[in-house]
Order: sequence, then C-alpha cells, then structure tokens
Amino acid sequence: MNRESSRRNFLAAGLVLPAVASASRTSGPSPQEAAPLRPSAPAFQYRTLGKTGLKVTSLGFGCMITSDGSVITRAADLGITYFDTARSYSGGNNERMVGAALKGKRDRITLSTKTGGRTKQEALDHIDKSLSELGTDHVDIWYLHGKGKPEEVTDDLIEAQQIAKKAGKIRFAGVSTHSGQKELLPWLAKNPNIDVILTTYNFTMEPFMNDVIAEAAQAGKGIVCMKVMAGGTRGRGASPVISEKLHRDGALTSALKWVLRNRQIATTIPSMTDMDQLDANLKAMTQPFGSTDEKILAMHLEHITPFYCRLCGECAGQCRQGLPVQDVLRFATYAEGYGQFALGRERYLELHPSHVQAKCGDCPSCTVNCPYGVKVAREMARAQEMFA
Amino acid sequence: MMRAGAVALACGLALSLAAGAAAPACNLVPGWTAQGKVRSYTQDNLFEYMDGNAEGYLLYGFQTMQGVTCEKGGATLVIDISDFGDADSAYGMFSATHDPGQPVVKIGMSGQIVPRRALLVKGKYYAEIAANPEGDYSSTLHEWIAAIEKTLEGSSDPPATVAWFPAEKQRSLRLVPESVLGIGLLKRGYVAQYDAGKAFVVEEESVASATALMGKLRARFAGSSPAAVADEGFQAADQYLGKLCVFRKGKYVAGYGNLADGQDGIALATALAARIH
Repeated sequence: MNRESSRRNFLAAGLVLPAVASASRTSGPSPQEAAPLRPSAPAFQYRTLGKTGLKVTSLGFGCMITSDGSVITRAADLGITYFDTARSYSGGNNERMVGAALKGKRDRITLSTKTGGRTKQEALDHIDKSLSELGTDHVDIWYLHGKGKPEEVTDDLIEAQQIAKKAGKIRFAGVSTHSGQKELLPWLAKNPNIDVILTTYNFTMEPFMNDVIAEAAQAGKGIVCMKVMAGGTRGRGASPVISEKLHRDGALTSALKWVLRNRQIATTIPSMTDMDQLDANLKAMTQPFGSTDEKILAMHLEHITPFYCRLCGECAGQCRQGLPVQDVLRFATYAEGYGQFALGRERYLELHPSHVQAKCGDCPSCTVNCPYGVKVAREMARAQEMFA
Repeated sequence: MMRAGAVALACGLALSLAAGAAAPACNLVPGWTAQGKVRSYTQDNLFEYMDGNAEGYLLYGFQTMQGVTCEKGGATLVIDISDFGDADSAYGMFSATHDPGQPVVKIGMSGQIVPRRALLVKGKYYAEIAANPEGDYSSTLHEWIAAIEKTLEGSSDPPATVAWFPAEKQRSLRLVPESVLGIGLLKRGYVAQYDAGKAFVVEEESVASATALMGKLRARFAGSSPAAVADEGFQAADQYLGKLCVFRKGKYVAGYGNLADGQDGIALATALAARIH
C-alpha cells in the first residue's frame, strides 16, 4: 500500500474501527451521554475510562503550560472533570498551581499526575511530594512518565505503583508515552498492572495508532490522549504567521474534533492557557467532525508535509547508499531552522566518511519514501551542499 | 597540570562557542569525569530527552541545549545548559522553574541551589544540574554553579521589569509566556503573586497597540468603571480574577487582580505605575 495514500486514508476515514473492537467492549467508551449542567453550560460527553470505571468528560485539561490557575478553576466550574499534571512540570510549580486552582473541587474531578522517577524509591518520593503539592491525599491516576519501550516500564516502577496503590495514594496506575506506541501499547494492553494509557494521538500519525489503541481499549485499558492538536501553535515550525492561520482556519478545533470522534478514547488533555482556548475547545467538544474539518486538516497536513520530519525512523535502511536520512535531515534543521550551522555541520561530519562523501545527485532516483511525504531527495541534497 | 586544565577548559569553551551554545565540561571542577558523550538538543528533538516537558521549554523560546553527565565517587551530576535566544526568555524560564519557596542565590542573573538540584541563569543561558543518588549535594552544587557561571557570557542583571514589582509580601514572580492572567489578549508579561492579589505588567509593541488593548480589555470586563491611574485605567470585577484594577502607562498595560476586600486597587496600581519607566 502506498504510504502517502495510507496516511490520507487515516485522516479521512481513520476511525473506521474494527467492528469487533467496538462491539465487544464491556466497559470501554460508552455511548454519548449529554448532560447539560445548566442552560449556559456546554453539553458534556462523558466516557468511561476503561476498567477503572471512572466517568470522565471527553474534553479534559492538560495543565502543563497553563500559567494562571483561574483558567483551570473555570474549566472545573464549567464541568470538565479530568485534569492532568506531572511532578516535573515547571520544576514542581505546576502541581502547586493545579492544587491551588482545584482546591475545594477535588471530590468532583479526576486528577492525574506523573513521575519520571527511575527507581522505586525515587518514584515513591515523587508521589509523596506530588500529593503534598496538589493538596490531596490521593491522585486518581499516577503515570510512569514518558515511556517509549516496554523495557522502560521496569518491574521496580510497577512495584512502586502497586505500593502506592495499596497505601491509598493512587487509585489507578498508568503509563504515558510519546513514542514507540506500535510496540508499547500492545505490550501495555497485556500488562495487568496498568489501568490507563496516556498516549500522543492526532491526525498526523500513522494508521496503526487506531489499531493499537483499539487493542488496548478492548483489553480494558482507559485511553487518554495528548498532543491532540499535533503541536498546535507551539513547538517546532510554529511561526506566528502559521499560528495565526491555524487559528483563523479553525485547524485546532478540527484536530480536537478528529480525536474526539474515536469512541475508544475516553478523554483528551489539550493544553489551555486562556479562557478563549477553553471556550473554543468546549465548543469543539459538542460538535461532530465533518467534511469541513476534514478539508481543513488535509490542508494543514499538506502545508506541513514537505518539510516536517517527524523523526519516526521509517526511512531507516531505505537509502541505496545507506545514508542515515533522519540524522542528516535533523542536522540540516539545526543549521537552517535554528541558525546553528556549526552544530549541524559538526554532527554531519561525525557521520561515517562514506556517508559524508555520498551525494544524492549520484542516484538516478531516490529509494527513500517518507511516510509523511517529506521531499527526502531534495532536502538531503540541500544538506549535502550546505555541509560540504 | 594547571596548564593542561586550562587548555582543556579552553577547548571546552571553544567547542561551546562553535556549537552556538555553552557546552559544559566535566573538568570545570577538579575530580569530575565525563560519563558518556555531550548531549545536544534543538527545538526539533528536545522531546527525545524530556518528552512532554519539552513544551514548557519551547514556550520560553528554547533554542538549543548541550548537556553532559559528570561523575565522581559514585555521585553523578546531570548538567544541561540551554540557550533561550535572549536574556529575558532565559530569565523567564528560570522564573517559572525555580521553587519560589526556597531562597535564590545571587549569582549570574539569579540562581537556586537545593540539596539535589541547582539552577542558574545568566545572559541567554539557563543551566540546570541534577544530582544523584539521594543526598545533600549543596556544597558541590555551589562549586559547580560558580564554575559554570564563569564560562557563560552575558548580562548578570535581571530584566528591568523584575524590579518594578513591590517586593513586600511577594510570594513569586514569573514571566508568563502567553495568556497573562489566563487572558489571551495579554500575550506575554510578568506576574507577581502576593499574599493577597497579583500584579502584572505586559509590554506592548507601541503606545497605540497598548491603547487598543485597553479598549479590548474594557469591553471584556463588562461594568468596568474608569480609574485615574497613569495614562488611563479602569476597575472591574470578575468571577475568577476578582477585583481588578488595570492601567496603561505608555506602551505598558499593567495592574492588579484578585485583590482582597479592603485592598485599594487604585492606590496599589498608582504605586506600581510610578515604578514603571
């Protein structure tokens, strides 16, 4: 199957989920239950977080970059029930702010935090500190933060979660992941110690994401999604001009709607820093994903595709000259994207001499097929010329 | 021996300059050796190092990071030095990540040392050190921070805005990179949290844009009333920001929010306005 068409299919119809996955759920995503809190409040969708049985709003709140607690307080008042933070955010200041913002509301929200601790003791120290900063005696979900491979979810860390659970400091154990989902999610699906999975998921990702999410949901894992706006207006390549265009075109709310239509997903945690973003996301939550959204996202994908190397590694081994394409493109980004020419060239010259001397122009055609449509031959040739 | 050390240090600095960011060298402090290679990250791949936490760095204008792990007698120090492009952004990162409940150290623009962690900001550079395993590394971290500070170029003066906020009963002061007070119109600025209430200062590009912003803010807070503060001002009440007093002085939009009953918003705002220059 052509990778590019495969990706487009993911965007257009990526949620044609395996029937068995949808039909055989026991406690997976439940049918939409609209429950307006009051006439002026949005109609929330509540979904069940896997076998935890927790009912959460499909729109949650990722608190990581929120600076003012008033936005979090208002979100809780409006009816959002899921809030996520981590021990490491802002050196611990984020947990403190979240705790203050949700003071007096703890009994009606689901609260999650994460530990990046590498040992059992370090993780257990973290949960005590987290509880202190959040001003609560327990969190609902405690994630092992940012795991990309099964071997990173060590027995030591699982034991820490079990100890914390027995002590009543956490209700459920989770793992968060930004990469390696193809291998990690099926492994987590089979792990009886893990209740909830927090994963990156958005319209720019590979189609296999639907399969591994379905597999995990079918196994009873609660699925929480982050990075649902694919970097949104922040991060790499997000110039003010592009950010403004994304806002204007409605790409951000379309991206959120795209994720929310997957019924395997219990909740999402987009970052929100102000009341306007909160209102826009609340509105998106109540609207179906339609053909207009599809067009907007297709346009956005078209825009970012030619230069947006996602460092997925799919190009490894494809070059007939054996060139490490992902590395070379990254070094070019150092130079061109961030003005760090010396760093880029230095890294480039550290490659194997045969790779440094190779020229893409020597090949009659390029054998590398980027699944995201990056113009590899063109970008590689430019890097070779630049670093020569 | 000293000459060899100086040469090594010079090489380390030369490497750092070549790479565009300050690369730490383990031999900066005698007895420490490198464990593994120097780490380099850009906006593109910082997430490989710190996953979701990377977004917090990017918000403050992160450019590049170079890091190294140093070891000595079973202890390791994970040292990372990030280039934030300019001093204001680097200080902003420090303001967001240091623990306001702990004292700061007068070194570089500012620093903080707790038993297992040290932070330093100088010029456009933000340095972090994490010590392992469990223990009190305060004296070691002091030594390291002092050594690193000498290798970093740039100003040791905090941004002028910092001094504008009254210090009395101030709990924290931080640069908010977007949505000051949770209001999208207030794009970027400093916020000081006090025992009661919080103050903010936002710098606009021009007097005209600041004036336009004031108009939008007035419209946002229905029922606002004029306040004679600086060039123009108003008072308002909001469900989440409480009692507000907002004013404009030149291209600066500033004020107070969440004021307690009994606090005189106009008097506080007038005092703040007098410090803005």
